Amino acid sequence: MRTLSVGARCSLPVYALLVLGFIAPLLTVVAYSFATPRSFDAFRSFTFDNYRVIFDPANTVWMSFAWSLALAALVVAILTIVAYPIAYGLARTFGRWSSLISLFFVFPLFVSENIRLYGWVLFFIKGGVLDGSLKSLGLGGGPDVLFTFGATLFGMVYVYLPFMLFPITLGLSTVPRDLVEAGRDMGASRFQIWREIELPLAMPGILIGMLLTFVLAVGAVAEAKVLGGQSIIVITHDIEIAFTYAQNWPLGSALSVLLMIIVGALSMLGIGRLDLDRILGRR
Amino acid sequence: MYSPAERPERRSGRLIWVWTVFVIVVIYLPVLCGFLASLNKSRYFLFPIRTYSLDWWQRTVESIEIAQLVKTSLLMAGIVTVVAVGIAFFGALAYARYDWRGRKTYQKIVLLPIFFPQPVLGLALLLWFNALGMQMSWKTAVFAHLVWIVPVVTLVMAIQMYSFDPALEEAAYDLGASRTQVLREVTLPILWPGIWSGGLFAFLLSWGNFPLSLYTTGADTAVPEWLYSKMVAGYTPMVPALGSMATIAAAVLMVVGGSVATVLRRRRAA
Amino acid sequence: MNSQPSVVRPDPGRTEARPPVLRVAALVKAFGSARAVDRIDLDVQAGEFLTIVGPSGCGKTTLLRMLAGLEVPSSGDILLNGARINDLPPNKRPTCMVFQSLALFPHRSVGENIAFPLKVRSVKPAIRTARALDLMKLMRLPADYFSRNVMKCSGGERQRVALARAFAYDPEILFFDEPLSALDYKLKKSLEKELKDIHKETGKTFVYITHSLEEAMVMSDRIAVMNEGRIVQIGTPADIYTRPVNRFVAEFMGEVNIFPVRRRAGVVYDGTDFPGQFKVSAAASAEGYVIVRPEFMRILSRRDEAENVIEASLYNSYSLGSRTQYRLTAGDKALIVEQSRAADLSSAGDARVLVGWNAADALFVGD
Repeated sequence: MRTLSVGARCSLPVYALLVLGFIAPLLTVVAYSFATPRSFDAFRSFTFDNYRVIFDPANTVWMSFAWSLALAALVVAILTIVAYPIAYGLARTFGRWSSLISLFFVFPLFVSENIRLYGWVLFFIKGGVLDGSLKSLGLGGGPDVLFTFGATLFGMVYVYLPFMLFPITLGLSTVPRDLVEAGRDMGASRFQIWREIELPLAMPGILIGMLLTFVLAVGAVAEAKVLGGQSIIVITHDIEIAFTYAQNWPLGSALSVLLMIIVGALSMLGIGRLDLDRILGRR
Repeated sequence: MYSPAERPERRSGRLIWVWTVFVIVVIYLPVLCGFLASLNKSRYFLFPIRTYSLDWWQRTVESIEIAQLVKTSLLMAGIVTVVAVGIAFFGALAYARYDWRGRKTYQKIVLLPIFFPQPVLGLALLLWFNALGMQMSWKTAVFAHLVWIVPVVTLVMAIQMYSFDPALEEAAYDLGASRTQVLREVTLPILWPGIWSGGLFAFLLSWGNFPLSLYTTGADTAVPEWLYSKMVAGYTPMVPALGSMATIAAAVLMVVGGSVATVLRRRRAA
Repeated sequence: MNSQPSVVRPDPGRTEARPPVLRVAALVKAFGSARAVDRIDLDVQAGEFLTIVGPSGCGKTTLLRMLAGLEVPSSGDILLNGARINDLPPNKRPTCMVFQSLALFPHRSVGENIAFPLKVRSVKPAIRTARALDLMKLMRLPADYFSRNVMKCSGGERQRVALARAFAYDPEILFFDEPLSALDYKLKKSLEKELKDIHKETGKTFVYITHSLEEAMVMSDRIAVMNEGRIVQIGTPADIYTRPVNRFVAEFMGEVNIFPVRRRAGVVYDGTDFPGQFKVSAAASAEGYVIVRPEFMRILSRRDEAENVIEASLYNSYSLGSRTQYRLTAGDKALIVEQSRAADLSSAGDARVLVGWNAADALFVGD
């Protein structure tokens, strides 16, 4: 019987959606990246010109890449430190409060990031919440942090916290509690237990969190626009400009392809090693 | 009160609590700022607020333009929810319930749209729709939402399905039920809480989605897009007002929907 | 007693005139190159309680699932009342299975669970309720449990609900997949007897699988011992116990004393890993094992005599309530003896005693 098994048949709708909505668009982008610059004939021409433009040291378009990669790396570093204690709390310390506290961290995902980022604009802007409060207390004005690299970084750390937090929490929750107790029983100090038992076992979750945060942050644009003003142009912003104002789809596509290669390679590296059944809780 | 071995535990536990609460405050601080800004009587935001008023809230509620936006967002979210739950239900069955040959690969492929920056996906879809010669509207945005949301909902449902005992279906079958009867009497009722949670996620994620909507709605506008355009140029306190309303709506839905899901789950399980 | 041939005894079931209600012929189930079930021939008589026992991984669950229709055989036939049912799906077979996890529907009440087989056959609600209440009475469940959620019942009560549900539409054969294995000792013991009673009262055919031969002995009319996908021996509990066909079956029953032997002359054998001579009660093959159950060995007091005697020293003793188990060592060999407390046994270690048994009480198996 050459018909598909039940499981395979169930997967077809998802596969169809992904082929039409994920694979096909990405392949189109790849096709456009080889088209004549500034043209729209994607499948009729083939040239490396767009890539040459990017890698031409005379052009500064590679700077956007550099900014994005640097920001993403910094975001990952900062968030690992920020999120780890919270993840630890959710997995161990908060007990029955864990579910409620998780809700507080999940909810921001349902509020569009531009609303949240704009709240920070209202906070930091001249005459805004911070500046106004300090002035009314007679403490001089608020710091001028908006529309800087720092502001962009802060915005990204703010937005991508859940994506670091939840994988680490998942990773920590897979560490059986009795291993920790056994370690203590055998005489290990708190730090040793953490270093020898908890950290290695939770490492897959931590790595996934770092990976997810990185690939999402490297393609981020809202933070740089809203909080960063135009102080830095990140790669996705450049892509957007190429697709819209500059009407240079091939160049935008080439930039996208390079970004996709970075994201794709990292994702497949990370996802490839996962045993999803075990992580998601198969009996 | 605590033994010497426990004292460092208590101290680090306390630090963790303090840090977590601090981070939560920081997370919701901008939401609070937005809320305050919406209560400002004058058009321009200056803190501390001189006069508080609900004028702008009233104007937001009465605005026809905004009513249209909300309708668009609701319509999109509604359709996304129905379609996403339909596709993801089967996707989750393939993920967690049945054993089949390509399952491990499938599980990883489903994750790919999640491990992908949404703005880039939105731009790629923009290109794709244009290359197909399609007019962009809220319908293309729905499709864009689905590409990202279906994998997420699949995961949410798969997690619930992992604890489903396949013996229940076998027993029903063995006791004489036909395949449709098994689905109707056993499978769906037991998986229903997972379906509900998945639907809730789908709705909320679509409602609050910004990057995909921005690039793929074309002539139509969803709430987050409109807010963005006004933030860039043409700020009025209606912006934080609508933003706060959208946030409150999402919060209410999450709490109500989540409570229903919890009740459903408690009734089904031991 | 009598001779012990080292071949599988002809199945007493086959020699009777009544046709079997279930016949399995050359049944095989292969997963890739491994055979979980490796050519099984089996006849199940109508109304009997047949238990298939074997260690984990012997294939008994796979066999049962094929009989129930939940697995498709790789080759071979399953015949129900003479008709081949290999391709019949489980919902069309007049059989019902009680699963190891019981598979009770957690979202339904006791009554709804029991009435389920009737509901899916479009039986009217009033009739369904009446039948469910009848079955609850049969299974000794109080009538007011009807609307109680199944997950709120105790382990024993859930067993009864699962059983009642399996009986609901009156199947010809009931299959049991180790339903008692997760229960505590006391509950298991009482449910074993209840199952046997229900079998007697209803007269249905039960095919039961378990890894515990003890459980099987209590309940079954016949036992089939399975190992590595094959049936090693079928017979009544007494047959299995007193005339095991080989070492595996003998050891399956619990701890035994085994002496590999080779014939010296007539009924006298030499031990091959143990110096000593053994007398068996009938000449069998030239090589084999002498198997003595602990309860047939005894520690000899001064005036006792036995046909076989071994000198040993006491290692430890374990109280089993009315009896005591003694572990002794004779050279490298460990011996197990079970008897009522030996009167003149000093508890000082290294006590040298004589252990003996009669040839008639020993078993001889060829392999």
